[in-house]
Amino acid sequence: MTNDTRNAAALSRRGFIGAGAAAAFAATSVAERASAQGRDRLVFALSSYPPSLRPWANTGTAAGTAKCQFLRGLLSYGPKGEIRGELAESWRSDGPTTWTLRLREGVRFHDGEALTPDAVRRSFELMQDEKSTASLRGAFGALIDRIEAPDARSVRFQLKKPSATFVYMLASWHAPMISPKSNEANPVGAGPYRIVDVERGTRIDFDAFDGYWNKGLPKTRKLRMAAYADENLRVAALDAGDVDIIEYVPWQSYESIERNAKLAMDIVDGPFMYLNFNCAQGPFTNAKLRQAVAYAIRREDVVKAAFFGRGSAMNGLPFPKGSEFRDEATANHWRTDLDLARKLLAEGGQPSGFSCKLLSTAQYGMHKDTAEVVQQSLAAIGIRVELVLPDWATRVAVGNRGQYDFGVMGSAGDFNDPDSMAQFLDGSQTPNYTRSHGYNNPKVNELFEQGRAELDVAKRKAIYREMEKLALEDAALVGVAWRSQAYAMRKPLSGFANLPGFLSFYSGLTLENVSMG
Amino acid sequence: MAYVLRRLAISIGLIWTVATLIFLVLRMIPGDPAELLLSSGGVAPDPAQVLELRERLGLEAPLLQQYASFIGQLLRLDLGTSLTDDYPVMDEIAKRLPRTIELILAATILAVAIGMPLGVVAALRRGSGMDRTLSAVASFNQSLPVFVTGTLLILVFAQQLRWVPAGGYVAFAQDPARHLTNLLMPAVTIAIGLSTVVFRMTRASVLETLDRDWVRTARAKGLASRHVVRRHVLRNSLGPVVTVIGLQMGTLLGGTVLVEYVFNWPGLSGYLVRAVEQRNYPEVQGIVLVICALFVFLNLVVDLLYAVLDPRVRHG
Repeated sequence: MTNDTRNAAALSRRGFIGAGAAAAFAATSVAERASAQGRDRLVFALSSYPPSLRPWANTGTAAGTAKCQFLRGLLSYGPKGEIRGELAESWRSDGPTTWTLRLREGVRFHDGEALTPDAVRRSFELMQDEKSTASLRGAFGALIDRIEAPDARSVRFQLKKPSATFVYMLASWHAPMISPKSNEANPVGAGPYRIVDVERGTRIDFDAFDGYWNKGLPKTRKLRMAAYADENLRVAALDAGDVDIIEYVPWQSYESIERNAKLAMDIVDGPFMYLNFNCAQGPFTNAKLRQAVAYAIRREDVVKAAFFGRGSAMNGLPFPKGSEFRDEATANHWRTDLDLARKLLAEGGQPSGFSCKLLSTAQYGMHKDTAEVVQQSLAAIGIRVELVLPDWATRVAVGNRGQYDFGVMGSAGDFNDPDSMAQFLDGSQTPNYTRSHGYNNPKVNELFEQGRAELDVAKRKAIYREMEKLALEDAALVGVAWRSQAYAMRKPLSGFANLPGFLSFYSGLTLENVSMG
Repeated sequence: MAYVLRRLAISIGLIWTVATLIFLVLRMIPGDPAELLLSSGGVAPDPAQVLELRERLGLEAPLLQQYASFIGQLLRLDLGTSLTDDYPVMDEIAKRLPRTIELILAATILAVAIGMPLGVVAALRRGSGMDRTLSAVASFNQSLPVFVTGTLLILVFAQQLRWVPAGGYVAFAQDPARHLTNLLMPAVTIAIGLSTVVFRMTRASVLETLDRDWVRTARAKGLASRHVVRRHVLRNSLGPVVTVIGLQMGTLLGGTVLVEYVFNWPGLSGYLVRAVEQRNYPEVQGIVLVICALFVFLNLVVDLLYAVLDPRVRHG
């Protein structure tokens, strides 16, 4: 028996030694490989694999970041968030309803086709096709009357009504131009990179497009976008040198990355967390009760609990810091004031509080953590909150149908202009989980319409001041926190910029400027 | 033969039941795939656009018609296409399933290589210090959640020692060495827990066999101890161990979610989670059915193996 035991143990030892040797060999091989990984390839870690690369559908930030490598529109954004010419070199307003864009000379798509006014017109026609999944289909349909070609290099948009935001729509990464020989299902673009290989669900490999209009770019010849859904693994992969840049840096990792001499971070306050309400039924049909909630939330606690202190309280509407439309006085309208909150509760007919349900999601920590702090905050004024935390898909469905009392949401505007708040406040738009259900103030809707149609900045400021005043009274969008949004990268890398404010998600546009040395 | 045919008929009935259940459950839970797809990024989807997409995806047809179409597709072994990008579900499963099976096989080989010899040693030295130590280590390993083990392995071997990548996947054909090193940590993570199961089962089974009369008889007639253990004890002890390993492997087919997530291994489990999140009906249906079919198949294989290892089953 002893001999057998020894034999079995020896076998086990051999197994261990063999496995150890194999591991050591493989490890050495990888270590060599990692250090030899050339500087000619940039590896970007996406937070998820894009559900689709259809050119005009909005399928999230990861998809947008990947799309803008091979697809570009007529306009886009520069590193400081300024609108810049992309496939069009210039743009001008020839009257309130006419915009003329001059196309760059010699722009070609990846298949060699030239960018012509006809190609532009075809892209817009496809976007507005009734079977199109373009997120701007409705917006363009409501705005564009016709597209003309005054000469071989110009495109003129005749609009049905004046629009100060039309240029932002043209700069959206959901409005790229595609080759006249391609279609929505298999688009061919004119971006700095072309797709050379796709491992669905895992990675997309790009090679530099030699015919890119911006000569000398992209600075790195090869780009790999690899999906790392686990935020901790994204950070570990960056630290281990597997990837060069990561998006959606988790807030709990900021400190360790800041301490790491090999890594750098680019942080902006961009997206924000807020509360929306069911204004059609339940307790929050009463504006006083919504206001009471707005004054009772301990926003600094949300910033600490959900974002590890990386963000700031949002005491008003989401006018980004630095925006010329932001008024610091009204931006701090809802400072925590429990006495005022109790007074508003009494005025709303609920002096001793009430019970209600808060819709959030357990799928994203920041949504859940925000909901928990809101729950605790409101307990202080007698509002008993029950948390409803389904998965994200259910949260969207329930939100779109208005099956909630109030909800936690996180979002960002589509562009750095007050009109981007219309999606959260304009009740004339289609009901949506991002906006308070049943909220519809015709005056607010009208002011958004006026602001959109007005091209004079001073007059627009006055319009949005009035809109802000009404929206704060209505408290149908209650700001909670600005959250910081960071990209982290390895130190020798340069040229990447985190775009300011709401445009943070568009930062993938600057990957063309990144050099590895 | 009749036994095999009966088992096959039961298996097909089981797969049909699972197909019907998953079809119904998916349509009962909240969350509309078209609405979800068009709501990405917080935009307000146009109801007309949602309706058009639902029609295009066949979600507007009456439930019975959808069911008939689904079963018809199944009979043609067609699992449909993804709702998000029209990619054939069968193709994606064909790519991902081998990765998950490879991960499970690698983990199982490691687990058997570690757990089985140690289980035999512990049983043969029952009550000794080594037995107690091994049992204590097994208890500790079993209590470790895979995401903790995985994260610790990443911290030590990827971030500190930099021996292996933190995660990810490279096809074997593209770079065999990189492929294997990527496989190593997720396989070890699963193997740590699985080896505990193999260890315990082997130990218990060997202990039970050691007490049998015929083992005593074998010893009494003067057979060498090594011979008794190998030919009589081990052979008679492995039946339950193989059964448990087979069942564990079946469970792992849909149960490697956390490991695949932690190590970014693009297998079937991760695909299933993403499909559920997106309410991608054809993908969820396809993956669940394939896992179900494999589970049924594995059970059949285990039964046959059991019969090979234990002649009484063959003749019984």
